[in-house]
Amino acid sequence: MPDYVGTGWAATHHSHNVDPLLLAIWLLPLCGALAIWAFGPQLRRGAGVLATLVVAACFGLTLLDIHAAFASPSSGVGIGNGVPLGSWTTGFDFGLLWDPLALLWTLVITGVGGLIHLYSIGYMAGDKAEPRFFAYLNFFVFAMLTLVLADNFVGLLVGWGLVGLASYFLIGFWFYKPSAVAAARKAFVINVVGDVGLMFAIFVMFAYTGSTTYAEVFGRAGTLPQGVVSTICVALFVACAAKSAQLPLHTWLPDAMEGPTPVSALIHAATMVTAGVYLIARCAPLWDASPDARALVGTIGALTALTGALLGIAQWDIKRILAYSTMSQIGYMIMGVGIGAYQAGILHFYAHAFFKALLFLGAGLVIHELHDEQDVRKMGGLRTRTPVAFVAMAIGTLAIIGFPGFSGYYSKDAVIYAALERGYPALYAIAVITAGITAYYMFRLIFVTFYGRYRGDVPDAELGLAARPATLEPEAHHPHVPRWLTEAPVIVLMIPSVIAGYVAINGENSLWWHYFAADFATKPQVMPAPPLSEIASTLLVLAVVLAGVAVAYVRYGTAAAKENAVVRLRAEAAGMPQPFVRGFYFDDLIDALIVRPALALGRAFARFVDPHVIDAGVTDVARFAGLMGRELRLVQTGLVRAYAFVVVGGAVVFIAYFALLRFPR
Amino acid sequence: MTPMSVDVSNYIGLSAVIFFIGVAGVLARRNPLIVLMSIELMFNAANLALIAFSRLWQNNAGHIFAFLVITVAAAEAAIGLAIVVVAFRRSKNVDVDEVAGMRG
Repeated sequence: MPDYVGTGWAATHHSHNVDPLLLAIWLLPLCGALAIWAFGPQLRRGAGVLATLVVAACFGLTLLDIHAAFASPSSGVGIGNGVPLGSWTTGFDFGLLWDPLALLWTLVITGVGGLIHLYSIGYMAGDKAEPRFFAYLNFFVFAMLTLVLADNFVGLLVGWGLVGLASYFLIGFWFYKPSAVAAARKAFVINVVGDVGLMFAIFVMFAYTGSTTYAEVFGRAGTLPQGVVSTICVALFVACAAKSAQLPLHTWLPDAMEGPTPVSALIHAATMVTAGVYLIARCAPLWDASPDARALVGTIGALTALTGALLGIAQWDIKRILAYSTMSQIGYMIMGVGIGAYQAGILHFYAHAFFKALLFLGAGLVIHELHDEQDVRKMGGLRTRTPVAFVAMAIGTLAIIGFPGFSGYYSKDAVIYAALERGYPALYAIAVITAGITAYYMFRLIFVTFYGRYRGDVPDAELGLAARPATLEPEAHHPHVPRWLTEAPVIVLMIPSVIAGYVAINGENSLWWHYFAADFATKPQVMPAPPLSEIASTLLVLAVVLAGVAVAYVRYGTAAAKENAVVRLRAEAAGMPQPFVRGFYFDDLIDALIVRPALALGRAFARFVDPHVIDAGVTDVARFAGLMGRELRLVQTGLVRAYAFVVVGGAVVFIAYFALLRFPR
Repeated sequence: MTPMSVDVSNYIGLSAVIFFIGVAGVLARRNPLIVLMSIELMFNAANLALIAFSRLWQNNAGHIFAFLVITVAAAEAAIGLAIVVVAFRRSKNVDVDEVAGMRG
């Protein structure tokens, strides 16, 4: 447990040594966004190059500045260097924080984000609004960096809100598609629910600690009443749930697939949805002080993981499958950090950033190859047609299901075992089952998409596809850009998707655990021995995962299944249980509980309050003014002598009043 | 007080008399020129009062006010006569009651 108010942290926090590198990392993407916004028409194709260079420069600067994140101020207990940038009132400084946690997130945001930028140059070629797209991307990176680098909750809130805004821009990027506009609006509204939660948490912590900086709030976390800490944690978790797509605020995530594929990759892998994981990891001292909040967050995380996996089974859209897999994996991360296994949860974020970006960018290659076809039923046999995409998605799939040797194996295993270790056997069971389901639906995706015969020429009805609404989208035309432009970032991402987990091979003696040594307490000292050893648990998870793969193989991978794919897929689509198709009715629930009452209230106001109270009030004021005007007009006779008489009469009355009544003799 | 002095109340009384003659003229007469003359009477009544009080209090501010009033009166007369001339040209009469274009 670091000593937040000890000499180290507080001392540097008030010294004025602004790290120019850190400032540059933070502000370069904003400058990039502004420059592209301003000069987009002039830059044209150069916009993508500029945006990519900006993010790449940020990544380079981050690498150069790594040492600063570990520069513990004095005795080595500090968690980093807060650099004050300005102060409005006492106790309300805004500064940048540079510690191992912020460094890790910055590396992922700028590194994976940079590759996604690079990919977008090829992917978005030919779009009419290319510069606008890259301006948004850069703005997104800036928003996320604000969130991660702020050293206080208000800066965090600003970044939190800006990320929501940026996601709104990007999800609704193709604004001529009504579905994209609806998805963008939904994402924004749900995100604002989270913003309100965060704001509420800030109000409460300010009321009780008189500060909003991490250092002071965390320093007093131990002295606050239990109820207050729990309230803060729950409010913070509302924010996490909205941003990180946890139940029941997850419904925006699958809809957000309406944005261009690189956006999905950026939102799901490098930025945005992992903000909730960051928030919980950052607020570790608060969660450490509230066991209730721990249990709540761990449970919601596990349930989200399970729900996401179950819904992933029933999807046909390649991007929606990946979206639900993201929701499921974020559930793992939230469960991990929620139950206090910060290293494990963050490790899963770190590994997930690579393999999820890889999966999305691979899916983007497929979608491009098939001219914007996203339904896996219309795919099949793409193994030879898009070999890079196949390899990418195969590696991504092996990583996400936690196949030994791939990054996800180390991270997911750590999260799952942590649940058992810390005394949450129910969560452990859910996590293990989810791992099996994950293996099933991911291999379903691989088999249906890449094996068998190409079904793009089979009529929609024969495959059981519902009639698809015609969009207003202009005919997609992708100019011939060199393939390596989109494939290069994918190939680069394959490497960390495999090896990223190796940093944690030795468990608690690994590099990974040492990295966070100063940030998070290791395991509680007194803990009952878990009923399963770590090896046994790993084998159990592996068995469940292989079972999932086997089921997927039997259903989609055997020769017979591939032969009769058309008939089988149609039957599967027809026989899909309704709860799965409707996403377990979460949308309907929100609709019934919130949207409909709100609409009814609005209608009631429109019918009664507006015409009879507001409008009527305004009309009455106008009518009164008119009446007064009509009546008082008659006083104006136009006779000068009459006016003079009134003046004299008034003077006489005035004098009489003062002479006789006010100052009588 | 000098031997030749007159009591200040006499000046004030004279001033009041002149003022109310002016008021009566403004209210009663319909010829705009007479009305203007009546207004001049009121100004001068006020001037007389100012000078009298100035003398009484041995304070020269009253004189300065009187000069100011004379100046304003001159300006008012100029503008008033101009209005009368214009009104006469438009309506061919010199009756203030006939000029009632401002009636609401």
